[in-house]
Amino acid sequence: MGEKKQLKIFLSLPSTMQLIYLLDTVISDILKEMKFDEEVQEHVNLAVIEAGTNAIKHGNKEDTDKNATFEFLIDDEKLTIVITDEGPGFERQEVANPLDPENLLKSSGRGLFLMEACMDEVVYEAEGTIIKMVKYR
Amino acid sequence: MQVNLRHNDNVIILDIEGNLVGPNTIALKNIIDNLIRKADGAPVFLILNLERVQMMDSSGLGVIVAAYASIRRDMGRIVLLNIGGNIRSLIIMAKLVTIFDRYDTEAEALASFQNT
Repeated sequence: MGEKKQLKIFLSLPSTMQLIYLLDTVISDILKEMKFDEEVQEHVNLAVIEAGTNAIKHGNKEDTDKNATFEFLIDDEKLTIVITDEGPGFERQEVANPLDPENLLKSSGRGLFLMEACMDEVVYEAEGTIIKMVKYR
Repeated sequence: MQVNLRHNDNVIILDIEGNLVGPNTIALKNIIDNLIRKADGAPVFLILNLERVQMMDSSGLGVIVAAYASIRRDMGRIVLLNIGGNIRSLIIMAKLVTIFDRYDTEAEALASFQNT
């Protein structure tokens, strides 16, 4: 039996939104390397940017003494992305649905929804301080 | 991100270049807020030309939604020009496709203001 090969890439960023472009660069290259089609690349890229924004801005409150970490796990079947922040966490079910008519024209609150819409799986762990997202090939 | 501002009669056209993501969106927000403030309650007629925007996230979408709400409040109108597939898909996902008028050419976008 052959052992399943997995490649791990780890990125740790101080919590400033000015560094979000680094995340964009890394995920863009990974997606190209994995040869996802263009539309899937755009969706996963968006989900990662949203998760990064969530960790840096809402989790770590842009405190540069705190890091947001991103682990990219690549295997033959899928891309798994694990995002961790040092914030207090949140309850997913307490976040309003941006598609509800009363929320449709709000200027914020779409990040988690877009992550879930763009990925095949999104799991919130450790009170929302760890988010695990999966996209299958 | 770069924003070029043009006028065509009473219609303002913002040509946006770069990604509307994270902190990049603040500049666009400031420009639109300034336009609304200068109008001082008069309606603003605005075309956002997104031809050179490759990526937009929820922050970028939030700026455009906030602009829509403010401009509509003063009886103005905002339309989107030249949106690519990724932005179109974002707008569809966010169920905003019926909110924003979208055009593929500047002439069509400008013509849409003639009855307003």
